[in-house]
Amino acid sequence: MPGLKRVSPLFIRTVAYLMVLCLIAGVFTWFAPQFMTAGNLATILRHLAADGFAALGLTFVIVVARYEVSFPGVVCFVAMAMGFLISGGLSLPLAFIGGVLICAGVGAINGIAVSYLKLNDMVSTIAVGSLAGGGAFLFNGGQSFFKNFVSCGLLRLNDAKFAGINISVYLLIGVYFVAWLILHRSRFGRVFYATGENPTSATYSGINVRAVTFWAYLICSVLMALVALMLMAETGMANVHIGSGCMMAAYTGVFLGAALFGGAGVPATFAGTLLIAVILNGFNLLSVPYYWSDAVLGVVLVLGIVAFHKDGVNRLKNVFKAKKKAQDRAVEISDSDNNLRLERVK
Amino acid sequence: MGETILNMIGIEKSFGSVKALDNIDFNLEQGEIHALVGTNGAGKSTLVKILSGVYTKDAGEVRIAGEPVEIATPRDAVNCGVAAVQQHPELVPNLTGYENIFLGREHYNPGLFRKVNRRALRARADELSKQFPISIDLDRKVSRLSVVERELLAILHSLTRQDIRILTLDEPTSTLTEKEQESLFSLMRALKNRGISIIYITHRLEEVFTVADRFTIFRGGRRITTMSSEQAVQSTKSLAEMMLGKALGDVYPAKKEAAALENEPGETVLKVEGLSFGESFKEVSFKACKGEILGIYGLVGSGISELSKVLFGVLRPGEGTMVFKGEKLVLKNPGKALRRGIFLIPRDRRVEGLTLERDVLFNLTLANLKKASGLGGFVKVRKTWQEGARLAEIVTLEPPNLATKAGNFSGGNQQKIVIAKGLYTEADLYIFVEPTAGVDIGARSTVYALIRELSKTSAVIVMSSDCDEVHGLADRATALYKGKQVLAPTAEVPRDQLLVAGIMGNEERKRCQV
Repeated sequence: MPGLKRVSPLFIRTVAYLMVLCLIAGVFTWFAPQFMTAGNLATILRHLAADGFAALGLTFVIVVARYEVSFPGVVCFVAMAMGFLISGGLSLPLAFIGGVLICAGVGAINGIAVSYLKLNDMVSTIAVGSLAGGGAFLFNGGQSFFKNFVSCGLLRLNDAKFAGINISVYLLIGVYFVAWLILHRSRFGRVFYATGENPTSATYSGINVRAVTFWAYLICSVLMALVALMLMAETGMANVHIGSGCMMAAYTGVFLGAALFGGAGVPATFAGTLLIAVILNGFNLLSVPYYWSDAVLGVVLVLGIVAFHKDGVNRLKNVFKAKKKAQDRAVEISDSDNNLRLERVK
Repeated sequence: MGETILNMIGIEKSFGSVKALDNIDFNLEQGEIHALVGTNGAGKSTLVKILSGVYTKDAGEVRIAGEPVEIATPRDAVNCGVAAVQQHPELVPNLTGYENIFLGREHYNPGLFRKVNRRALRARADELSKQFPISIDLDRKVSRLSVVERELLAILHSLTRQDIRILTLDEPTSTLTEKEQESLFSLMRALKNRGISIIYITHRLEEVFTVADRFTIFRGGRRITTMSSEQAVQSTKSLAEMMLGKALGDVYPAKKEAAALENEPGETVLKVEGLSFGESFKEVSFKACKGEILGIYGLVGSGISELSKVLFGVLRPGEGTMVFKGEKLVLKNPGKALRRGIFLIPRDRRVEGLTLERDVLFNLTLANLKKASGLGGFVKVRKTWQEGARLAEIVTLEPPNLATKAGNFSGGNQQKIVIAKGLYTEADLYIFVEPTAGVDIGARSTVYALIRELSKTSAVIVMSSDCDEVHGLADRATALYKGKQVLAPTAEVPRDQLLVAGIMGNEERKRCQV
């Protein structure tokens, strides 16, 4: 684009990200040489699929500045629904269409609750999520589905390769590309960002903020059908807890990506999710117990946000300064005229 | 009335290069209600804020009861016996009336977990309500009280210190109805009878005569005159003239010639008849024509803000008709208004007009994304960039860098971005609300020139609480006063007539002999 003279901050951030990624990969290779093998890298990418779709769906909701926590429950429900259909003899494409329809329904409920009924986004999606998670038990009384899974070709989604890379990876990249076109290259994306960053000015610019919020929830939920599909292909069955692990991965992916690249977006989410997949895989190779991985993700997320936020470090300094100031002031001002201090702060 | 309680001598205050107060002398007597009047930016609020410690004076001396005092913080002010009530008092909505009155000055029961002694609070509150004529249910939560009741609570809250001698009120009546005003005034009179002096800022002259003993007129940071209400009634000099001073003609672009206005009227773009919106405004009628600027003058609470939102589809009108280019206009939302060709340059551009975290180009195209994108909805980067650069040149954006965040520009340049955003929609009607609020003097004339330029191809409505702005800019002007249209749209309205209409309504005019 014309008019840019300095090195774009985006470029600096990308370089910084790649350096971090290489550093982490280097450390893992040092301790576990099998990390840097073609087989393992393919495994990382394959594992990326499910979490990647979940994080992508969440990105749309985060861009409109809302929250969505129903998706783990939705993934469980839709996986069980698709498992039920496949076990019943339905073909894979038809079962998947059924799953997409169910997801669209749930997304519409979320969207209507948050945008049109103006309910609190956290509370209503928690409610919807637990309804869906509970509903997953209705299909088979809590038992897993695996009948017909091999014969319908579901497992090929996970195992089949093209040019040495799993089909699921191509699917992931394809869907990310479409999402990137929508969110970053089309006017619809502008509308999403405008809604999230300043809903009032968006309204005054003729944008139907409620409809946009509704669509964000709908898109998010529909992508959960893909998450369920990937998880079923990976594990070879559908059970009632299949989606419970994607909450942490999705949120860490989106927010770590947003911290790394200065805002939530499709490339940012991809970068965040990839970084997490690499870290999790590395710990796996080092045989670190699985219960450590959530803790590590949490630490990485906080560090990432502080290090890459435009004045994260300064804020941290300010917190300590403010603490000291408050202590000084507390000595100076007695309790009796508390209110005056309040006035002063104002 | 007795001795002088407050002397302010030679007060000076500047903000940057702007002199807000220029060598102000001000006296306040014990037990008087003293009104400060003047147009926007006259300096009355600044003076009160210096007294209450919000601002620090650059020069001058403040004496309370003859003693020189230094007021650097709001706390100093309270210690000197000065209590300030804010324009929008900050109360805790989930606490009851009496809890709010004594907030921060509660009685505690002794002990490890000190509990608020509600009974003692209640007793003190009852005592207060016996002393003063207030009819508020103090057991109600503040969130369920009306605006005036909150105002009264805030006043009582500031008086819970025993030694308050001076109370300042900053435009307390701007959003009150006449009846509500009366209860505020009766509390003010009761306080006056207890020897408390009140400084009271207002826009509305008629109130001055109802409640104030004396008043001081400010204009452009100077004190013009101080006189008692009785003197003013007998005075032959026009108060409006004193408030306005000499007109500054050169900031405003040339108007359409009177003869042309009469003989070659432009095409009527919007015709509004008997438009009402709840209590905010009633029976408003005007028409906006291509080629001329219609000015609507109204203070805070006059209804201009609601009127602009109704015309843009943010609010739905109660009654009345709007005809836009010969067709009846029903607006469900701003999107519809934009598609019909109406663009609003809102009052609060940082909240309503711009996405501050995004660059100029993002903001420019936001109101007309269809134009910015081609097949399949993809944004045409090169085309929008060229168009954006052209618009930035038209509005003289400084610096003209389309990749800079909108939030990094000054107020004046932010306003230019919003205007450019409007140009991008190619609307037939542009509505400006307070077009130069927060815009520095230099950018002001540019904004005015742009508005005039726009009026050549579209209809333009300018709504403002700045009388000079409406008078200087508009070809025809009308005024709203507390929701009533007090002046039919006329060309070449004299300045003081416009001001009087806006600050006291027309019928008040004879009574006060202004």
